Amino acid sequence: MTNAPRGLTTTLSRRSIVAGVALAPVLARAGITLAADKVIITVVTDTAGLGDQNFNDLADRGGKRAAKELGVTYNVIESQTQADYVRNLTQASEDSQLVIGVGFLLTDAINEVAAEYADVHYLLIDSVADESLKNVTSVTFKENQSSFLTGIIAGLFTKTNKVGFVGGQRIPPVIRYEVGFKAGVACVNPKAEVKIGYADTFDDPGTGKELTLSQYNQGADIVQAAAGRTGIGAFDAAKEKKSGYWVVAADVDQSQLGAEYQLCVAQKGVDTAVFRVAQQQVDGTFEGGVQDLGLKEGGVDLTNVTSAVPADIVQTAADYKAAIIAGKVGVPVDDDSFKAFKPVPPDEVKGMATPAASTPAS
Amino acid sequence: MGDFFTIELLKATLRMTAPLLFAALGGLLSERSGIMNIALEGLMLIGAFFAVAGTSWTGNPWLGLLIGVLAAAAGAAIHAVWCITFRADQIVAGMAINLVAAGITAFLVQRIWHKAGGSDSVQKLPNITSGMSILVPLAFLLVPVVWYFLFRTRPGLRILAGGEHPQAAESVGINVSRYRYLCVILSGVMAGLGGAYLSIGDLSYFTLDMTSGRGFIALAAMILGGWTPLGAMLATLLFGASQAVQLQAQAIGNFPISPDLLVAFPYLLTLVALAGFVRHVTPPAGLGKHATSG
Repeated sequence: MTNAPRGLTTTLSRRSIVAGVALAPVLARAGITLAADKVIITVVTDTAGLGDQNFNDLADRGGKRAAKELGVTYNVIESQTQADYVRNLTQASEDSQLVIGVGFLLTDAINEVAAEYADVHYLLIDSVADESLKNVTSVTFKENQSSFLTGIIAGLFTKTNKVGFVGGQRIPPVIRYEVGFKAGVACVNPKAEVKIGYADTFDDPGTGKELTLSQYNQGADIVQAAAGRTGIGAFDAAKEKKSGYWVVAADVDQSQLGAEYQLCVAQKGVDTAVFRVAQQQVDGTFEGGVQDLGLKEGGVDLTNVTSAVPADIVQTAADYKAAIIAGKVGVPVDDDSFKAFKPVPPDEVKGMATPAASTPAS
Repeated sequence: MGDFFTIELLKATLRMTAPLLFAALGGLLSERSGIMNIALEGLMLIGAFFAVAGTSWTGNPWLGLLIGVLAAAAGAAIHAVWCITFRADQIVAGMAINLVAAGITAFLVQRIWHKAGGSDSVQKLPNITSGMSILVPLAFLLVPVVWYFLFRTRPGLRILAGGEHPQAAESVGINVSRYRYLCVILSGVMAGLGGAYLSIGDLSYFTLDMTSGRGFIALAAMILGGWTPLGAMLATLLFGASQAVQLQAQAIGNFPISPDLLVAFPYLLTLVALAGFVRHVTPPAGLGKHATSG
């Protein structure tokens, strides 16, 4: 509130600097490319920083790909504390044309800084910024949709009719993973039990291992981990139980931790989102607004299904995917919508996505 | 509930107790000599990191364990120099070690493995039985060893004297500072064992902040155990068991108690225990007091 007038004056005094920087996209839009003036893209991480095996790493991967394929200059600023967000975003805004804030926690900081640097473009990952800001694109992901498909695979592939889910903390993206997984299992294997466990931390692989082990020992043979570094421990648990026990990875392929234990991956395309917006920046087609990326948009997907899974199970997952994309099956996003969710059995889903094959049941 | 209290639950309890017990015994040695050691968390982290780095350099997890323990002992030696020779505030010095340990391990992970967040996988120490590292029985074996050393040997009794009343001990010719150095460095050895247990005993890699507050829990357990080795063992078992039960209860599903309460259970237990029992527990009288001569 009290900052408003001061913010205005700084904007005016910075106008001249910003104008020069802002010229690049304007020229690009006009079809003029200046080889010397490379587009600068800067990622500002949240406090988890690089190495989180999660969205910060994925954003970094997208930025690196943009540097390689689009020839942009790519920088990363890691935030140590929450107090760094505004400072780091401001620093990035001084010389970049596209600034990428990674994570829900940067929402307020993006709102503040983006209002001040009207000519810089922003991408906010995993959260929605103030929609009146035309220079910000917010990207969120439908983790529940990819997790629904891993639930389909797990529900059909389990030999014990028990599967597990290990979460870090019960925050919205993790809840989306949890309810999506439960809904997927419920569709294809109503008798299966889903064991839920939370470590209450994202950086304790020792506890992640114990949590997974206790689910294995209670009869689960497949455990999905959506728990950051805590989830790494799930692979140690599978290793200890030797063969017949599986891990479903969330966000990113973790086969480097033990490819023989990874059943499949509920992938989150933060890297793709970053790359796509970087491309728009280079092409001059950047547009502010909100994008909620699901299976349809390629923002999330089921990937890296191990060859141990029979083809008919993979096909069933593909049927569900087509049905979700066609809008025929709705996947719950939170506890309330999960309670209201009516499982859709596989035989109803077959051919659902192809409207030509109309059945009496319609 | 017949399938609740299984052999697997017992094993999980012992696995979760072991790192706490190592660190609690370390804290006990240091505090009995009169030096507060809240650096246990950082020393564990240093031990965990250098055990993995050492294994990666030498290809041998036993040498890795040695390197991890020596590194934690070196960290403890810095704490000793600050607290004993320079007479720094022991809490501040301990906090500094914790902060430096978190920073330096994060930095070195980047330098050695060229990635953030954690190390590559390395070979781990052997198990004595399925799901039980060889370091687990070692932790429990150290309980009588530490007890015998402190209460039945000449140096042990001198350490206790220096911890209770440093001036009196000095007056009868005991070199209090020398014994304090020994104990603080030994506490580093113990914390290093606890950290190495996490990184190459239980798991096979290092990740940032992987000790996750265990050093502080060990400290609380040591106080709850009344600064005695047997007490420390029972208290750490209590923490290990409540953690194992909590995880198991989540896995069972329709458990009558809410998971949130279960997660909070070990901490509530500490509060109740501290409020109920600690009045009967007295710390070493000379804790935090400097000896008269350097």
